[in-house]
Amino acid sequence: MKPVFPALLLAASALAQNSPYPVDVPAARIVKALDEPQNWLTYFGDYKGVRHRALNQVNTANVKNLRVDWIFQIPTTGRFETVPLVVDGVMFFTAQNGHAFSVDARSGRQLWHYQYKPAEGTADGLNRGLAILNDRLYMGTVDGHLVCLDSTNGQLLWNTEVASAKAGYSITLAPLAVKDKIIVGVGGGEFGIRGFIDAYDAKSGQRAWRLYTIPEKGEPGGDTWQADSWKRGGAPTWMTGTYDPELDTVYWGVGNPGPDLYGQDRLGDNLYSCSVVAIDPGTGKMKWHYQFSPHDTHDWDANETPMLLDLPWKGQIRKLLVQANRNAFFYVLDRTNGEFLMAKSYARQSWLKEFDAKGRPVPLPNTEPSEQGTRLCPGLAGGANWMAPSYNPDLQLFYVPYREQCDIYFSTPPKFVEGKAYWGTATRGVSDEKEWGVVKALDPLTGEGKWEFKFYHAGWGGTMSTTGGLVFAGDADGYLVALDAKSGELLWKLQTGSEIATAPITYMVNGKQYVTIASGAALITLSLP
Amino acid sequence: MRLLLLLMAAGALSAQSRDLAAGRAAFVSNCAFCHGTTGEGGRGPNLTTAQSVHGRDEASLRRVITRGVPGSQMPGFGNFEEPSLTDLVLYVKSLSSRSAGGQAIPGDRAHGAVLYQSNKCAMCHRIGSEGSVFGPDLSRVGAGRSAAYLRESLTKPAADIMPEYQGVIVTLRDGTRVSGIRINEDTFSVQLRDLTQKFRLFQKDEVQMVQDAPRSLMPPYNLPPKDLDDLVAYLASLQGGPAGNQTRQAEGIR
Repeated sequence: MKPVFPALLLAASALAQNSPYPVDVPAARIVKALDEPQNWLTYFGDYKGVRHRALNQVNTANVKNLRVDWIFQIPTTGRFETVPLVVDGVMFFTAQNGHAFSVDARSGRQLWHYQYKPAEGTADGLNRGLAILNDRLYMGTVDGHLVCLDSTNGQLLWNTEVASAKAGYSITLAPLAVKDKIIVGVGGGEFGIRGFIDAYDAKSGQRAWRLYTIPEKGEPGGDTWQADSWKRGGAPTWMTGTYDPELDTVYWGVGNPGPDLYGQDRLGDNLYSCSVVAIDPGTGKMKWHYQFSPHDTHDWDANETPMLLDLPWKGQIRKLLVQANRNAFFYVLDRTNGEFLMAKSYARQSWLKEFDAKGRPVPLPNTEPSEQGTRLCPGLAGGANWMAPSYNPDLQLFYVPYREQCDIYFSTPPKFVEGKAYWGTATRGVSDEKEWGVVKALDPLTGEGKWEFKFYHAGWGGTMSTTGGLVFAGDADGYLVALDAKSGELLWKLQTGSEIATAPITYMVNGKQYVTIASGAALITLSLP
Repeated sequence: MRLLLLLMAAGALSAQSRDLAAGRAAFVSNCAFCHGTTGEGGRGPNLTTAQSVHGRDEASLRRVITRGVPGSQMPGFGNFEEPSLTDLVLYVKSLSSRSAGGQAIPGDRAHGAVLYQSNKCAMCHRIGSEGSVFGPDLSRVGAGRSAAYLRESLTKPAADIMPEYQGVIVTLRDGTRVSGIRINEDTFSVQLRDLTQKFRLFQKDEVQMVQDAPRSLMPPYNLPPKDLDDLVAYLASLQGGPAGNQTRQAEGIR
C-alpha cells in the first residue's frame, strides 16, 4: 500500500487554512462591514444601505471583458429577488418558496440546501435574503415565520411565528441583525393587517419587543385614524431597515395605509403609514418619525431604502437620512431628530403643490383616486420602490433606479374580510403613454440630477456601486449593465435571459473580484477572464 | 308577524340594492375601460346581450372575471375576492337580464363577406385558417368587440391599437426606413415583422433611429354607409370556432 497518509494530511491542513467553515460574523464585524469590501454581510452590504464597495479590480477600463464565471440554478419557479451574503469565500442565499443555499463563492458548488416546511398550508412566495450573526443565518418566510439556521450545515435551530399568515401577514424581507437581536418587518398592507416591527433574541428566538406602526386609540397618533380603522390600517414594514451604531438607532420604512386607494373610512394622517421611523433597538421605542405622504391613497409607501450618509449640509457635517421615496421625491432628513431638510422630485410628479416649512406636503386639488379614475404621476408602483439605490462617496453621487410611469387611479369602497385583499380598487396604466425605467445619478445635497440612463421598460432592478468607477444595474428585459459612475455611459451589458428584479452584489475571494445577480432561476456570477 | 316579515324583506332588498351599487362601482372602476360605462361594449364585448360564448350564469361570470379569457384581451382580475366579487358578478348578470338579446346589428352579413373579399382584408387579417397573420386575427372578433368598436376600427383604425400590433419604424444608417409590426423591443434591440411578413432584427446601436409608427398600419376605409353596415354585420358575426384561435395557437402563431 502506498503511503497516502502524509499527502492526505497535507491536503487536510491546507484545507483547514483555507476552510471557509465555520464562518463567524459577530456584530462588531457588521458595524465595520465597509472595511471588508471582499464580503457582503447584510442585505444592503452594510448598515448604512450605501451598496458601495471599495473594489476596483473590475473597473471602467476592463469591465468590457467581464464574463460569466458560474451559474447556480435554483430548483423552483417564481420571481428570484434574493440578494446573497458572502462571508470569507462562502455565499449564502435564499430562493423564493422557502429555499436557502450555501455555495462556494468561487465555483457556485453547493455546500448545503435548506427547504422550509410550513406547519400547514403553503410557504410559496418570494424572499429577498438572509441576515447573518455569528455563525447563524436568519430567514423570514412567506407564512409569517422567522427561522434560524446553522450556517455550517443549514440545520434548523429555531422557528418562531412572527405573525399569522391567515390574517394576511407575510415576511419577504431579509432580516436585520443588530447587536444580539434580529429585527424583522412584515408585509400585508393590501390585506388589512396592522403593521409592526419586531425584534427577536438571536440565540433563543424569543421576541424582545414589538413596535406597532399603527398606534391604538389613546396612544400618541391614535387620533389620526377614524373609528376602528387602525385595527386593519396596513402600514406594513416589508423592506429591511438601516442602522447607525453611533446613534444606536434603527431606521425603518413604513408602508401604505389600507385600504390602499380608498381613504374615506380612515380619515386623518394615518400615522405611521408612509413614514420613516427611528427606533431604539434595545427597547423598540420610537425616537422620532417623519411622514412622507400623510393619508396616502396612492400606495406610495415609504419602504424604500432609508440610506444613512454623513455629509456637509450648509457647511456643517450632519448625520443625514436620504430616501428616494415612491412618491417621486428625494428627501434629506436629519437622522438625529427627523428634521426635514429638503425634498426634490427626481421623476415626473403631478400631485404636489408645495412643502410647508416643516416638510409636510401640500397636495394639488383633484389628485385623489376616484370612481371614474384620476390620472396621476407617479404610478402606483412608483417612482422608486424596493429597487436598491446606491451611493458613491468619492463622487458624492446617489444612484436611484426608478419607474417613469403614470397611472389612472380608481377608488371604490372595499369590504373587509380578514386575510383577504383590501385594496379599495386599483389602478390602470395610461394607454398611449410610454413607461420606461431610469437609473439616475443625483447630488444628495441638492437632489439635482447629474446623468440618467434609460431602460426601454420600467422594471424592478436595483443598483450597486464600486470604486472601479462603475454602477451596475438590472432591467425588466433581463439586461445587467455596467455604467460609468461619472457619466452614466454604458460600458458593458449582459442579457441574462430573464427579468432582473433584484440588485447585484460584488465580493472578492483569493484576490479575484466577482459580481453576482439573480435572474430567472439562475444565480449568475461574473468575473474577469 | 306579517309586519316583521315585510320589514325583513325590505331590509333584504335594500341590502341587495346596496350590493348592486357596490358592484356597479367596481364595474365602473375596473371594467368600463373595455366594456363601456353601462356595459354596452367597446374594446371588449357588449355585456348587455343575453348571449355569451362564456355563459352568463354566476359561476361562468365568476370564472371569467377572476381568470380572464385565454387567447383574448380579457385579463384575469385575481385581486377580486369575496364579497366584492359577488357584488360585481351580480351586477354584470343584472346587465344582461335587462336586455332581450341585445340590439340587432343592421346590415347584410352575406354582402359584408363579399366586401371582406373585395377589399382584400385577408391580405393582412386572418379568419380561421385563411388569410395573413400580419394584422389582428378576426376569427372571433364579433365575440370580443362591440359593433361600434368594429365600425370605428374600419373608419378610424388608429383610434385604438392593441400594443401587440403597434407599428414601428426603423431608420437605418443610410436613411432607409423599415416599418412593420413590433414583435419585441428592449433597451438595446428591436424585432419586427415587415409588410412581407419577414422578421427583421436590429441592434439599436447599428441604426439611426427607432420610432413608434404614429398611425395604424391599417388604412382608414371610407365605405358607403350601407357597405359599412354590411361589413360590420359580417365582422360581428365572426364568433370563433375550432378553426379560429386554436388553429393559430396550434400553428405557433401569436
